[in-house]
Amino acid sequence: MDRMLYVAMSGAKQNLLAQAHNANNMANVSTTGFKADLAAARSMPLFGTGLPTRVYSMTEREGTDFNHGAIQSTGRSLDITIQGDGFIAVQGKDGNEAYTRFGSLSVTSTGLLETSHGLPVMGDDGPITVPEAKRIEISADGTVSTITQTKGAEVVDVVGRIKLVNPDLKNVFKGQDALFHLKDGEIADADADVSVLSGGLEGSNVNIATEMVNMIELARQFEMQVKMMKVAEENDEQASRLLNIN
Amino acid sequence: MAEPLWIAKTGLDAQKNRLSTISNNLANVNTTGFKRGRAIFEDLIYQNVRQPGGQSSQETELPSGLTLGTGVRTVATQKLHQQGSLLQTANQLDMAIEGRGFFQILQPNGNIAYTRNGEFQVSADGQVVNSAGYRLQPDINIPANALSVTIGVDGTVSVSQPGNPVPAQIGTIQLADFVNPSGLQSLGGNLLSETAASGAAIVGAPDTLSFGGVIQGSLESSNVNVVEELVNMIETQRAYEMNSKAISTADQMLQYVNNNL
Repeated sequence: MDRMLYVAMSGAKQNLLAQAHNANNMANVSTTGFKADLAAARSMPLFGTGLPTRVYSMTEREGTDFNHGAIQSTGRSLDITIQGDGFIAVQGKDGNEAYTRFGSLSVTSTGLLETSHGLPVMGDDGPITVPEAKRIEISADGTVSTITQTKGAEVVDVVGRIKLVNPDLKNVFKGQDALFHLKDGEIADADADVSVLSGGLEGSNVNIATEMVNMIELARQFEMQVKMMKVAEENDEQASRLLNIN
Repeated sequence: MAEPLWIAKTGLDAQKNRLSTISNNLANVNTTGFKRGRAIFEDLIYQNVRQPGGQSSQETELPSGLTLGTGVRTVATQKLHQQGSLLQTANQLDMAIEGRGFFQILQPNGNIAYTRNGEFQVSADGQVVNSAGYRLQPDINIPANALSVTIGVDGTVSVSQPGNPVPAQIGTIQLADFVNPSGLQSLGGNLLSETAASGAAIVGAPDTLSFGGVIQGSLESSNVNVVEELVNMIETQRAYEMNSKAISTADQMLQYVNNNL
């Protein structure tokens, strides 16, 4: 039997994986701070006895699209967006430092500054604690200050500074926890050049048109692979008919 | 069976939740003291199909692996406690809070609930109650012969009575505040209750510390921005359509296999 059937089958399987990939980007079209994943296929020639005619394909998550999403204004002082490149440092669920561009922050009952998913935001020395205050403001360099009122006079206290980093994007990858990490578990240094804007959130950077076109392309490619399987089946049928003795 | 189907399904679920939140906001556009909600999404964990950096042979390793995302989920519907605009009603027992804080209401089950809705009335026995008839805490009893009620910005309630030129102080309104007001649980009926996430109530006099002042004769309107909600609604609808398109595409792919092999 011709091994072409298996090559076509692996192609169809990889197309289905790439489609899953695409569906994930589309499902996250309105997730704040989401960065689209880029999929790529690679040819994997198989060398053995005889001619290397079998070339299988392999889908990979090649990387992440770090382009910026559009800024949506919310007017809430604890919603921050990063202007330009950079990330907010948070404490991941495993306790290690991780990075995100999700800037919807809130204060817990114990006063800890967290993202709305419940990850503590890192300051220059560990998580930031915010005392009870009339207002909380975050300035462009990430400084968190509280405004309290005592007998008519407003008092401003600086309670910490959000750690903002700007590592080389070549070393940044998206982990299984959907947060960004540095390769080899390194920790990025705080970068004073990263600035934030309070009162808005960064939308998802998924490009709807691109994803839709990708989806159509993958669906058609998949059909082509199935067609090849059909051809392989027909070839086999013809071959076995040749051997029939009438 | 096919991942794209289930991933797109999570997208549909999330957009449906978001639309529920938007509809609730729009329905409460005229509810006094209402705070709008916002659905917060998070991408789900990634599955490792092929480990990046794994050995592809003894000497070589895979330069990049394949990790598949598994979709999206709604992690929270966050209440946004921004100030709503103040409306003048000139009604003596209408109160608005300018700044932080909540009125305390005694529920029939004995627990205290919190509200920003300052539409108060007087019950038959002279108690200040909300529109459901629940008492404002601390209790304020308005004498039957009171000509007018004055509520100061610091919460002092005084009444003027016939034959007495000096107004008599009959009580003080106290407000409650929370470290994390978004953590309060909505009970319906404009009431909120304390949770572990909101922290314990901090009670104090209006216009001191972090508490806002009480403004008599005004009501705080809903902080829903209709234009913003409508734009969100359009976005939600299109995102929903796109995800259902992904489902039908995945369906067609499988159908093609079934029909042709």
